[in-house]
Amino acid sequence: MVSPTQPLLRSLRRLALTTKMVGKGYYKGNRTGSMGRHTRHGGYIIDWNKVRTYVVPDLKGFMLTPFVTKKLPYTRGRYAGEEGPMSGELFLKRWKVENGQY
Amino acid sequence: MSALQCLNPAARLLLPARCIYSPSVSSYLLTAGFHNSAPLAAHKTQDRSKNRGVSAIHRKYPKQPLSVAKVALPQPADVVDTRIDIDPDHGLYGFFKAKDTVLPTPEDDHKHGRAWSVEELRRKSWEDLHKLWWTCVKERNIMFTQQLERKRLDPGFGAFEAKSREREIARTQRAIKHVLTERYYAWQEALMLAKSDLEINMTGNGPVYKPRALEESTPDLPDEVSELPKGASEGKATASG
Repeated sequence: MVSPTQPLLRSLRRLALTTKMVGKGYYKGNRTGSMGRHTRHGGYIIDWNKVRTYVVPDLKGFMLTPFVTKKLPYTRGRYAGEEGPMSGELFLKRWKVENGQY
Repeated sequence: MSALQCLNPAARLLLPARCIYSPSVSSYLLTAGFHNSAPLAAHKTQDRSKNRGVSAIHRKYPKQPLSVAKVALPQPADVVDTRIDIDPDHGLYGFFKAKDTVLPTPEDDHKHGRAWSVEELRRKSWEDLHKLWWTCVKERNIMFTQQLERKRLDPGFGAFEAKSREREIARTQRAIKHVLTERYYAWQEALMLAKSDLEINMTGNGPVYKPRALEESTPDLPDEVSELPKGASEGKATASG
């Protein structure tokens, strides 16, 4: 059994297991996520619907930068009453005005 | 010619008893065995000491030439221009600010604004937010490259300004994600409300939005929206803001 040294015992009762410890059968992932499924013969079939794809837009002529001028103070939204930025009513109202085609 | 005839008459008298009068015997055996005898002098012993008399001080060189002297010296290879033609628009240049400099000065790094606020980003369209996100990603990639270079070169300065700049970019990215999440939640709620909204028709037959005010004022207004394909108005309903 892997045990910590005396000073560590106070704050850490047991060391966190790594992928290299323990016998057969102990699996510990590495935050990559599941990309498919295992076959009964030990293989792996990739499910391309699970694989992540990065869609990069065309940045030609894009004028915005990650920064805003410091002369402008930090703006905060003002919402009256119960209507906040996440309210569906406000969303619907704006949609009717902007996208309702009338 | 007999070997015995080579000898002088005096030497012949001094022949050893076991000498054989045979022409096949070498002259070395048949001659007198003194070190200064003339025939002996004809045969020089091999001086196997290569460093005999070699002196750096007196500039005395070895008697035998170097064995490598027999081998011809290799000719130097032809000068080959190893420069590769680099495309000035190569994608990897995207990891650097300028083509000739790797690290910016702390003064240049300090010249940046503040991060976008959530309210400012709420006004932006999906396309703008998408492009702004990737601008932030590319900028951060440049900064990570600079970080690696700073680790390698260890100039001793510049890390503080770079870190504060990176922090602002990360805040902008956080705000973008915040806005998109808010929009998604608002859309979900709006979708639920639309089902009970009388002005909105979610069945798919006919136009999605029919404002009641318009109907009351001009009931005979021709329905232009019905000429559009069915998917157009529905597409607008799902992707708005």
